[in-house]
Amino acid sequence: METSFALTGKGYLIMAADTTSARSIVKMKVDEDKIKTLSPHLLMAYSGEPGDTIQFAEYVERNIRLYQIRNLYALRPAAAASWIRRAVAESLRSRKPYSVNLLLGGYDTATDDPHLYWVDYLGTMAEVPFAAHGYGSYFALSLLDRYHDPDATLEEGLATLKRCIDEVSKRLVVSPGAYKIKVVDKDGVREVEL
Amino acid sequence: MARRYDSRTTIFSPEGRLYQIEYAMEAISHAGTVLGVLAKDGVVLAAEKKVTGKLLDLSSAKMEACSLVPDQRVPFRNVIGGVAGLTADANSLVNYARTAAQRHLLSYNEDIPVELLAQRMCDMKQGYTQFGGLRPFGVSLLYAGYDPHYKFQLYHSDPSGNYSGWKATCIGANNGTAQSLLKQEYKDDIEVKDAIGLVLRTMSKTMDSTTLGSEKLEFAVLTLDPATHQPKAKIYRPAEIDALLVSEGLTKKDEDAEMKTA
Amino acid sequence: MSIMDYNGGSVIAMVGKDCVAIASDLRLGNEALGISSNFQRVFPITDRIYLGLPGLATDVTTLRERFRFRVNMYTIKEEREIEPETFAHLVSSTLYEHRFGPYFIEPVMAGMSKAPSGGCKPFIAATDLIGCLNFAKDFVVAGTASTKLYGVAEGLWEPGLEPEDLFETISQTLMNAVDRDAFSGWGCVVHVMWALIAT
Repeated sequence: METSFALTGKGYLIMAADTTSARSIVKMKVDEDKIKTLSPHLLMAYSGEPGDTIQFAEYVERNIRLYQIRNLYALRPAAAASWIRRAVAESLRSRKPYSVNLLLGGYDTATDDPHLYWVDYLGTMAEVPFAAHGYGSYFALSLLDRYHDPDATLEEGLATLKRCIDEVSKRLVVSPGAYKIKVVDKDGVREVEL
Repeated sequence: MARRYDSRTTIFSPEGRLYQIEYAMEAISHAGTVLGVLAKDGVVLAAEKKVTGKLLDLSSAKMEACSLVPDQRVPFRNVIGGVAGLTADANSLVNYARTAAQRHLLSYNEDIPVELLAQRMCDMKQGYTQFGGLRPFGVSLLYAGYDPHYKFQLYHSDPSGNYSGWKATCIGANNGTAQSLLKQEYKDDIEVKDAIGLVLRTMSKTMDSTTLGSEKLEFAVLTLDPATHQPKAKIYRPAEIDALLVSEGLTKKDEDAEMKTA
Repeated sequence: MSIMDYNGGSVIAMVGKDCVAIASDLRLGNEALGISSNFQRVFPITDRIYLGLPGLATDVTTLRERFRFRVNMYTIKEEREIEPETFAHLVSSTLYEHRFGPYFIEPVMAGMSKAPSGGCKPFIAATDLIGCLNFAKDFVVAGTASTKLYGVAEGLWEPGLEPEDLFETISQTLMNAVDRDAFSGWGCVVHVMWALIAT
């Protein structure tokens, strides 16, 4: 089942999402990228109802891009997160709400620190040092409580992420096969392999 | 010839001019002077207060240099504005600016970036030069602000809906004189304490009256609070303005004292 | 389980002698799963008013943003800060606007209002999720631990508490109540306001 993780460290943020695209009990695709790069220093992992996820993610992606084109600078992570949360919250009380859960992670170039926001389909938002969505969260959050260090280096951060991924693979019946992992820091976004 | 084209804002004259806009700008050049100087660590704004008569009750009068975003607690106020032109139009525009700033705060949970606020205002002003049968706003504004993207900034917008960023500029009566004075005296990476002197000196040379005092002057400074690193606007009280004028050596001549000695 | 209990969290406000206090826990959960131990649900409105918003967390954020907008517009137009009584009615009418599709929040507010003598008077109030106001003289509670809060507060609160004693009373009440509630806890925050010029 769909699982995504994110954690902050010293000057960086790591985000990981599984790459499975499934319908009912059937895997349709195993290399789906479920982390969008919204702006040079902002990542969004999305999961939830198939269809809603892509529609909503593209809507957000294009609005954030439009702001950047109009103003020549990108929204800061906190401002982008507030706008996106509002979009989800307004959708919740509409005729057909999007059911999409999000992890928003960015690096604020004005203050030089990483920010992570946990957002669910109701429009609940919390700024957190680490976060997870999906069945994986039941295993990963307690591991992160124990091993997360906000001052850890990137190598240490990736090692903590590996603990989470390994634990989910070991204990979850419906564990995903592969993950895509992205890092955002002062230099922008890049993909990494474990 | 002009009469055939200048009564409507939306119609170009054969020479390609929009007379109503030019008239609006003319109206502003008779209004009280507003002067702004951008410093390395802040922005300084001064405005001439036009007092129409002794009986005018100023206790309820709006300050011309009025804060556009008087946001209490969090986030902090980050823009102050000075207006020159028709006061009624200015009140309406200032209200629009405050609403725009609050709408941005509602959507993005951050103070509105200064240039974006100027753009919002200019979208509004430009609309009145093109649509409807209405006259344009007879107001020019100076925006002194701070945002994390471009730090301290100073913008000017006019009735046509044009806006531009400045290191030091002036609107209202005698703005040409003031601008050339500023051009001579402005130095890059000027600090607030020197900018205050520059603004007051320029103001004293620009204003028609021979004396400079708190009854004819409004004064405001935007700086970063050293403790919170958030922008902090200070609009000076009359007593503080007089004290500032004394310390800058620009205080008005005490005529009564002169009479006594004579 | 009720939608009011989905994210958990509790708030309490108490009156003292020329002082007032408001306190809340810091948990944000997804039913039984804890998400954050630093979720703010008590917000400063002016220098003299605090507002607590227990209930569904999406509406905590939405209402906080809406109240900030409306209070800022009020401050701009009136050129003065809003009074606690006025703010209580602003909260009430904002919630009642959504009478048939409400925000799932039961607000609790605490403030110091201006007394005719020129000093300050403690003020507390709470509403239900559609804005029915309850002006209490002693204490108000809301959230998933509200039943437990009532019990402890009933036992510990007494009239005429000084700021230091009020702080102790509200803190002990909150901490002991949330210990018996699975959906509240994970840290607390307490705000105490007192008059510098007493009535």
